[in-house]
Amino acid sequence: MSRVTGSPFIRAAVLPVTLLVVWQLTVMLHTPSPRTPLPTHVVEEAWKLIGSGDLPLALLQSFWRVLAGFAWAAAFGLIFGALMGTYRAIDRSLDPLIESFRSIAPIALLPLAILWFGTGTPAAAFIVGYAAFFPMIVNTIHGVKSVDPQLIRAARTLGVGRFTILRTVVLPGALPYIFVGARLALGVAWTSIIAAELAVGAKAGGGSTGGIGQMMFVFYAYSVDLNGIIVCMISVGLVALVIDRGLRRLENWMLPWKR
Amino acid sequence: METLTPAPQPKLSLRDVGKEFVLPRTGERTVALESVDLDVAPGEFLCIVGPSGCGKTTILNMIAGLTQPTSGAITIDGKAIDGPGAERGVVFQDYALFPWKTVRENIEFGPRYRIGSTMTRQERGERVRQLIDLVALNGAENKYPYELSGGMRQRCAFARALANEPDVLLMDEPFAALDAQTRVILQEELLRIWGEEDAEAGRRTVVFITHGIDEAVFLADRIVVMSSHPGRITEIKSVELPRPRKPEIRASAAFQELVEEIWQLIRHEAYAATIRA
Repeated sequence: MSRVTGSPFIRAAVLPVTLLVVWQLTVMLHTPSPRTPLPTHVVEEAWKLIGSGDLPLALLQSFWRVLAGFAWAAAFGLIFGALMGTYRAIDRSLDPLIESFRSIAPIALLPLAILWFGTGTPAAAFIVGYAAFFPMIVNTIHGVKSVDPQLIRAARTLGVGRFTILRTVVLPGALPYIFVGARLALGVAWTSIIAAELAVGAKAGGGSTGGIGQMMFVFYAYSVDLNGIIVCMISVGLVALVIDRGLRRLENWMLPWKR
Repeated sequence: METLTPAPQPKLSLRDVGKEFVLPRTGERTVALESVDLDVAPGEFLCIVGPSGCGKTTILNMIAGLTQPTSGAITIDGKAIDGPGAERGVVFQDYALFPWKTVRENIEFGPRYRIGSTMTRQERGERVRQLIDLVALNGAENKYPYELSGGMRQRCAFARALANEPDVLLMDEPFAALDAQTRVILQEELLRIWGEEDAEAGRRTVVFITHGIDEAVFLADRIVVMSSHPGRITEIKSVELPRPRKPEIRASAAFQELVEEIWQLIRHEAYAATIRA
């Protein structure tokens, strides 16, 4: 008995399983309606959506948009973060701009995004990139600023030029913070893709642009299927977990000296 | 006055060098160094001792080109120093090894990335192998600094500074963080690598900063004794002990006398600095 409760996997599973059973029983004791999702129905629905390929395709579509948005956020975040972390003058002039934009929720940019880019991938990627940019740049600045100045001095005494120092000392030194930024950025990117696609879906009226957020919108506005929405929510959570674990793997592989 | 037989040009020359710091907050001025005159001959092993705050590290940083003097001039081979350069290698007190690079990559850093380096990958690999042999880090080539002992880190930092084959080696209390046994062993190793047993012509010029008077006497050709507030040179002592220096020399009367003599020179200030702090 103590061996079973001692296993971390089982201990972690106890609470969710209990909640699922309570949920199932509570709903079954009342009259089930389309508005009350049921664990067994959710599993059925998930099976159906996976089998038909709809769910994997929608997830893939969203994931691709997240990557596209994250890519430009990471590029701009790294470049401007490195500049702001290195040059005080650039930091002083850009910091107020960044701090004031940072408090504008990505979703508030949706009307602009839709008007500029339409309702497809570019609009969604724009929103995602906007959201991911801030954790990326803020952590890059912090990382660059926290590089041990003694290491830069050491590199200078070895006769190494400014730009090479940026590449071989400052960037590797900032990398642990950049990874924190990337993990946070991918997190908010994945969060905001749902919001973006929900709203884009609303405008397009459930067209063919796809994505997991739009799938949720269709379940909500057309088929009124709460089980489907729950399936989407769970798969969004699982994908986020996989992304984060993947990044941590990458981090451990790229930073073997960071123990 | 003209001399008939001109002395060989000094490797390093400090003329009336002064350094003032201005505290950014209060605007208060501190004189870290005042009218320092010093010549270092090629191949000479020079130690600088003095109480904390006497500006020894400031001198080293100025020779390294990391800070500029506020007055006076510093030259290497007669040319003014206006920044760091690969011909002046520095070993820092805290080693300043790149934590994300292995021992091999740390040592290779200068030859690989310095401006104007023409070494091929093979040449670099060969150089790094020789240096690893020289500082006895065999077997640790692929370890990261966090996996090394203090003595090994120190040896790695030393090899990294040597990799550029600098004419001048600047060492800022390199053994301060090590235990007494390791320190004694590395002092002997340092003299061996410096080329004590070889001809004088092949030796590098070394400027070595230390708190340890016995360390300075064991290593140096000449010892610069400094005092603080403001930092200046009190006296320059020649060490007439024969080379190569064996460990037994520490027990000799001449060694002990010189240590005592230098201690008397800085004793007063060292007490004052310690007790005030």
